[in-house]
Amino acid sequence: MKTAVVVAIVLGSVLLQALLARFAIGGRLAFDLVLVGVVFVALQSGPVAGMLAGTIGGVLLDLTAGGLVGIGGLLKTIVGFGAGVMGTRLVVAKPYARALIVAAATVLHGFLSMALQAAIDKWPGLDWAAMLSETGFNTLAAYIAFAAIEGVPGALSRGRGRQRTAFSRRQW
Amino acid sequence: MLSRRRTFTLFVVLCLGHILLISAQVQSGQGRSVLHASAFGAVAAVQGGSAAVTRGAGGIWSHYFALVGVSRENEGLRARVLSLEGELQAERARTAETAALEEALSLKRSVIAPTLAARVIAGSPVPGTMTVTIDRGTSDGVTMNMAVISGSGVVGRIIGPITSHAAQVQLLIGRSANTGAMVEKTGDAGLAAGGFADGMLRFELLSSAATLAKGDRIVTSGQDGIYPRGFVIGQVNEIIGAGKAREIAIAPAVNFSHIDVVLVVLSRPAAEPAATPTPTPPAKGAGR
Repeated sequence: MKTAVVVAIVLGSVLLQALLARFAIGGRLAFDLVLVGVVFVALQSGPVAGMLAGTIGGVLLDLTAGGLVGIGGLLKTIVGFGAGVMGTRLVVAKPYARALIVAAATVLHGFLSMALQAAIDKWPGLDWAAMLSETGFNTLAAYIAFAAIEGVPGALSRGRGRQRTAFSRRQW
Repeated sequence: MLSRRRTFTLFVVLCLGHILLISAQVQSGQGRSVLHASAFGAVAAVQGGSAAVTRGAGGIWSHYFALVGVSRENEGLRARVLSLEGELQAERARTAETAALEEALSLKRSVIAPTLAARVIAGSPVPGTMTVTIDRGTSDGVTMNMAVISGSGVVGRIIGPITSHAAQVQLLIGRSANTGAMVEKTGDAGLAAGGFADGMLRFELLSSAATLAKGDRIVTSGQDGIYPRGFVIGQVNEIIGAGKAREIAIAPAVNFSHIDVVLVVLSRPAAEPAATPTPTPPAKGAGR
């Protein structure tokens, strides 16, 4: 995957997350599309791209959120690296398998986030409802994204093939 | 393609870099740089635009298509306005009586805090961070630590970054959010603290001798210098244990999942004038 594509995916997911954040006010409904983007990059291109995407995405999100800069960067770097390593060790070609990696990454991200908050300030407590909601939404978003990316090139080439056949028939 | 050793080295370097960045901010207590404010401002502008588009689309639907039952709703609202006007008359009479009593007793006159209506344009992009962005900023007179309220109670306070047309509000249920609180009926004071996974607040630093029961209303005490006295925080939802180990959960009065329009209290208790010859006129959208 080219660097420009990686940066575009990360920037796109940060923008989408910022735009959709309105629906997550109050904390009961939670999703992290940047995390989905980071795991996607990590699975496509390996741990180096994953951790760099995590660093960029996390720091950008920290800058827009107004909290401490670096927390999101650190968490997403670790998750991006982990997902990249998993991607190179395990066969995760199917969309559902990749979505499962996103689910695992979301849970890991949640627990690491709580540990970091406990180290900096105080133990925030585990909100199962919020974590389940985030895991569910992230997994669903990842499945849709992976299935679309897998399906779109095939559909496009089938379309092109059909056009070519029709053209050939007209000629002959 | 980097070797495994180099990849791991890069990973460690990146993690250490982040840790150093976080440590520097935690120690200095400053995480808000020009870059921070610029990034927030840029995203707030995009969020404001998208919120306006969403509102516009919703408005087209609700103003032109979904008008079934509007006349019935109008009748209901007219009746409600009449009833509220009656209540307003009674409150005005009471306010005049209070002012006369204050004057007779040479007390400081109660000041109605001026407020500014603001619209919530976005939540925090980071899951679990209890902040929202409003469409008012420095050009509207909004500054750090101003209280933000809604019709039902206290929402939170302004924290940085603040740009000319946007500001970030820390919700009362957010991590490290605290407010001076007291039991309305007894006046026993303590601290309402946020940051709990159940979405409730905790009443801390309350004397173990203080008596309170489930359902008691908790209001701001005004002692923190941010929230004016008497605004509703919530009501006691649960009391676990007794004595010094007593844990008191407060159910917030505000439903934080559905906040659309809020009021920024433009003056802070510490900044309020000691005595004013005439009561301050309520600003636009003043609810109290």
